[in-house]
This record gives sequence, structure tokens and C-alpha cells, in this order.
Amino acid sequence: MKSKKMIIAGMIVSIIFVIVGCVWLSASAETLDKVAEELEAFESPIWNPPLPDYELPGFEGNLIVNIGIGILFTLIIFTVAFGVGKVLQKSVRK
Amino acid sequence: MHIPDGFLDLKICLITYALTIIFWFFAFRKAKETLTDKQIPLMAVLTAMFFAAQMMNYPIIGGTTAHLLGGPILAITLGPYGGLISMSVILLIQALFFGDGGLTTLGANVWNMGIIGVFIPYIVWILLPKNRNRMVLGAFLGAFIGDVLAAISAGLELGFSTKFLYGISISVPVMAVHHSIMGVGEGIVTSIIILILLKSRPDLLNLPKITPKWLTK
Repeated sequence: MKSKKMIIAGMIVSIIFVIVGCVWLSASAETLDKVAEELEAFESPIWNPPLPDYELPGFEGNLIVNIGIGILFTLIIFTVAFGVGKVLQKSVRK
Repeated sequence: MHIPDGFLDLKICLITYALTIIFWFFAFRKAKETLTDKQIPLMAVLTAMFFAAQMMNYPIIGGTTAHLLGGPILAITLGPYGGLISMSVILLIQALFFGDGGLTTLGANVWNMGIIGVFIPYIVWILLPKNRNRMVLGAFLGAFIGDVLAAISAGLELGFSTKFLYGISISVPVMAVHHSIMGVGEGIVTSIIILILLKSRPDLLNLPKITPKWLTK
């Protein structure tokens, strides 16, 4: 019961982070990106991510889509981390 | 602080991957022995929460932004190996789906944010005797020092990399100065979360920690 409450509270806080983050995200560049730009260093990706910079291609700058992606991946990460924990726990019980 | 592909040369990528793999090996082995039913939901919730928190970039200096790492809280509640596992999940998904941090530099990013950014706060936390005020102080100091050292580590990797045009005399101070401001933010947030946990769920601070023997009290 306590775990359930904690999960619900945690996920509500996470969704608030996502919403605030999506509203603020485009404010300016991260330090490392800015420094790299000033020092003329360039990225050379070896992989094309499906959602570059947390945006759905074709819907760049769409706040609702960005918030949707943030919430969806918060849930995915919760599931993955839960799964990793369960797999690790199971592997020792065998 | 996520280093993208192309900023680090092969040598630095390999060294940081090798160091990270050693920590992964021990972290997964220890987690198998210590993970409890209480810790798994906590680990999942905190991992999700700090993925979301990393989307929240706040302005610092010179038109740049920074975000929380989350390592200190992960370390204090789950233990440093637990924090490393959580942070690795976050960093892997960020690199695979969002291009936030590269795949060749994943070892370096996990080393900076998932090992230095997790172990240092935990070490500072356990060094201070445990009463309420010292817990809050330990959370703040640990988070601040952890963030700054993680940034210095990233600066060293960039400075020593032949792909980056400038040496450590430029890369280290720039990373350290900017991220010291982020460290203050991380320290404040970490202290607030510790205060909330002390009031509402002190049991979560007393769960068995997924930690190496040399860091067991």
C-alpha cells in the first residue's frame, strides 16, 4: 500500500517535471553544447535517434507532443527500471 | 553534461567504457544479492523521476542551461550501485531514443554522471554523523561536490581527447564553473528531498543499500 502511494506520488512529480521541462527546455543551450559551439567542436552521431532532442520529427516545437513524449518515456523508463530490478532479483532466486 | 558522439577520441571512449564495465559488473552482481521487494518500486520511481528531472533545464550563466543529475538521491536511497544501475537506464534510453549523449561516449557519460555523480555524494553522505541537520548538510555537500567532480571529469575527458580542439586548461574550468552553479541547485533539491523523506518516509532512507563492501558502514 505504501509502495503504491509512493509510486503515484513519484509519477505525479515526474509529470510535473516533464511539463515544466518542456515549457523551459528550449530557453537556451546546455553548457557543454554552448562551449563546444564556441570551441568549434562538432558532433558526429553514429546513430540516428528516432526522437532527436526529445521531439517528434515533423512536430518540432509542438508543446503538447513534447509533453506527450516526456510522459510516455517517463512511464517506459519506470517499466524498464522495474523490469531490470525484477530480472536481477529473479536471477538470484533460481 | 551529456557528451555526444564525436567529442571524444577512441582512446578516451575505450578507457571510460572499460572503467564503467568494471563498475557495471560489480553493481549487477551486488544488486542480485541485495535487491528487495521494497527497493524495486523505489528504484523504478526514482529512475523515472530523474529522467523527467533531466528534461528540466534551468538557466545558469552566459545563456546556458543545466539540469539536475539525480545521482545524489539515487545513491542515498538505493546505494551507489543501485544509483549506477538507475542512471545507466536513463543514459542508455536518452542516447538511443533522443540522441542526448552519444553511444560511443556512453561509457564516459555513465562514468561521469552514473559513477562519479553517484559515488561521491554517497561517500560524503556516509562520512557525516547522522542527525537531522547533518543529513541535510551531507545531502547538500555531497550533491554539490559530486556534480562539480562529474563536470571536472567530463572536462578532463574533453581536454585529453584529440577530437576536441582545446586542452584541459580550457575545458576543465569551463565545465567546473558552469556546473558548480548546477551543483548548488542539485544540492538544494537533494536537501529538500531528504527533508521530505525524513518527515514522511524515513524508512526509505533506512533500506539496505546496494553498495560495495568498502563503502559499507
